[in-house]
Amino acid sequence: MLTGTGGLARFALRRDRVRLPVWVLAVAGLVTVQANQSLELYSEPGALASYEQAARGNAAIIATTGPPVGLDTIGGAVAFELWSTVAVVVALMSMFTVARHTRVDEEAGRTELLRSARVDRHAPVTAAVLVAVLANLAVLVAVIAAGSAAGLPVRGSLAFGAALAGIGLVFTGATAVAAQVVEHGRAVYGLVSAVLGVSFLLRAAGDIGESWVYWLSPLGWGMAVHPYSDDRWWPVVLCLVVAVVLVGVAYVLVERRDVGAGLVQPRLGRARAPRALMTPLGLAWRLQRGAFVAWAAGIAVSGLAFGAMAPAIEDLIVDNPELQTYLDEISGGLVDAYLVVVLVMLALLAAAYGITAVLRARGEEAAGRAEPVLATATSRPRWMASHLMIGLVGSAVVTAGGGVGTGLGWALAAGEPDQLARVLGSSLVYVPAVWLLVGVAAAVFGVAPRLAAPIAWVALAYCVVMGLLADQFGWPESAGALSPFQHTPQAPAEVVTGLPLVVLVAVAVALVGAGLGAFRRRDLTT
Amino acid sequence: MTTAISVTGLVKTFGPTRALDGLDLDVTAGEVHGFLGPNGSGKSTTIRVLLGLLRADSGRAVLLDGDPWHDAVELHRRLAYVPGEVTLWPTISGGEAIDLLGRLRGGLDERRRADLLERFDLDPRKKARTYSKGNRQKVALVAALASDVELLLLDEPTSGLDPLMETVFQECIREVRAEGRTVLLSSHILAEVEALCDRVSIIRLGRTVQSGTLAEMRHLTRTSITAETERPVTGTTELPGVHDVVTEDGRVAFDVDTDHLDGAVRHLTGFGIRALTSQPPTLEELFLRHYGDELAGAGAGDGR
Repeated sequence: MLTGTGGLARFALRRDRVRLPVWVLAVAGLVTVQANQSLELYSEPGALASYEQAARGNAAIIATTGPPVGLDTIGGAVAFELWSTVAVVVALMSMFTVARHTRVDEEAGRTELLRSARVDRHAPVTAAVLVAVLANLAVLVAVIAAGSAAGLPVRGSLAFGAALAGIGLVFTGATAVAAQVVEHGRAVYGLVSAVLGVSFLLRAAGDIGESWVYWLSPLGWGMAVHPYSDDRWWPVVLCLVVAVVLVGVAYVLVERRDVGAGLVQPRLGRARAPRALMTPLGLAWRLQRGAFVAWAAGIAVSGLAFGAMAPAIEDLIVDNPELQTYLDEISGGLVDAYLVVVLVMLALLAAAYGITAVLRARGEEAAGRAEPVLATATSRPRWMASHLMIGLVGSAVVTAGGGVGTGLGWALAAGEPDQLARVLGSSLVYVPAVWLLVGVAAAVFGVAPRLAAPIAWVALAYCVVMGLLADQFGWPESAGALSPFQHTPQAPAEVVTGLPLVVLVAVAVALVGAGLGAFRRRDLTT
Repeated sequence: MTTAISVTGLVKTFGPTRALDGLDLDVTAGEVHGFLGPNGSGKSTTIRVLLGLLRADSGRAVLLDGDPWHDAVELHRRLAYVPGEVTLWPTISGGEAIDLLGRLRGGLDERRRADLLERFDLDPRKKARTYSKGNRQKVALVAALASDVELLLLDEPTSGLDPLMETVFQECIREVRAEGRTVLLSSHILAEVEALCDRVSIIRLGRTVQSGTLAEMRHLTRTSITAETERPVTGTTELPGVHDVVTEDGRVAFDVDTDHLDGAVRHLTGFGIRALTSQPPTLEELFLRHYGDELAGAGAGDGR
């Protein structure tokens, strides 16, 4: 019944030989950084107790991290602070791994070719699940290793790793099911991400209200392990059982559908194109509007949550002197300093959106869909500019949306309506830096299309590391000199001056111009 | 204007690969020109250069009196292209894609669009992701054929069509020719080229190996003769231009160079012909002659 699984799994591991280690090392890195930081922060007697007190009373913190359990140990504090981030990372790792080797391959027609060989119909999904199981076991081992190396108890680290792997397995199963239901790789990602989002909200609501609601969320089950304090094992077993049931459901669904088809039949489209579609920009917008709406909504809602936490920041920081010194470095009031961190983070996400929008042009080119359009009376610059336009205008709108969300959250939580305009204004200060990163993607697309994605993402990662983490690593400020965010006035904490913004916009324009010029002169490549 | 496409000494390299190695191609306005060659011989690369999607390393290409690279946008208003591997936007319906491509090219003939959809039996409401290869190809074909253009560049346009649709396609191309439009039809389906094309260029390894009308090319090929005679035929092998003689109880079969056909048939009459069949040379044979050495290299050819 499982003929061909071994070969497919080995092949999948080979294809993922870079990706999976990156995911696992990211988890290990997060644990290492957080553990070292917490061990240093809470080494003073009483520091942990005051932290626990602050955390217990703050709904916003509980909403973003998890239930304040086991905060009497440093390991417990590490798990508390890390849980939601790492759990989401592991869930996404499992989702991408399973979807890549099931529906995405099937959509591309690769599965059909394989299935014509001596490969059972259950083999692709089994191989994908196997690979995901191995990845989650690697996470378990990595967490034990990283935790123990940092000096946390081995038993607690084992429980923490097991809880994470349990979550990963639940999402492995969920993705295996989703891959049978819908016909499109993107739709699988959408569906599973939605499950993850709802899980996060249910867990947050359940933890804040201390109600049973969090039992509806797989993320809640993982947290119920209480690593480093109770080290309960039965929630891990619960995760395993659910994962096995989900994979079983996927198996049953495999039997009931054709290769390439889903269980949900796609709807018919229009017989004639609407007027709005029939320009290059109209086409680019049609291709990108779904992603734009998702990013804009996601970033605005995140802003809302962060903004709503702003009034509570002052209470929190009074009890956390370390955080206070960190935020003090940014200068200005405590809440403004917090807002700078939030707005920079949202702007980095907006830049990520802008990069995906520009890289869509590369995706179109590589898939051979640029060719028929460029064989019409559409010029190269006009075609590329249509995607650039969406990247530039879209990322600005997404940045502003994050500002509106943050401002609105704060205005509502604090009852100060005029904060909305102020925070929105501050968020716009980061738009030139966002555009510069979008410009990098455009320039590389023009000059070296195959390197466009790696270079653009490395540039963004550099800005993320320099903007949010450099302080933690104690790196000198000059290390981040190439990041446009380093040269952006830190609104609203700093006074905004025009010159740096003008320079950033000029650099972005030059990059975009270079990209357009180079694209005009090069061959189309796949 | 009598020349639609004129290409001389075209060279295009991709790293170490020489995809085009001094290719020549001449297409007269108003003709259907067959562009033949096996996979990887450079047909698609040539068409992409003609579309200004790739830039040639050297050589000269003139398309509708313009430069395919510099005048791309202006030229593209006057031509339509069907790629060999049609990829469409998964969430956009076939009808929308036809309208989009037509509009970007400068407009569609509405009546012809409706007529073509019917003849090709294509449901325009389906999203492209649900189309088969053949249906995606039909979308590109309808968009191209319904456009008011003087030149059609078709890169293996029928590789996914069933025989019924192939017939519809051939009808459409004949109509296009009757309207005085020019077609460059790349293909490796010889019957299609034989049925449609006025002239053919055969390319191999990025070079043009032969070009001309089918009549001109047939001149260079052999006719297959099978005859039943009253007396056993002797002396056939000594005749000039005769190859591959097989004799078995009263039957003789051989190939003869078309120039020597007369002599061979005269020779046969001396033995009392009971039945005679002759098969005219096909493009298949033209093709085999050009790729014969490749087959020989693989140990399967007869070395001619």
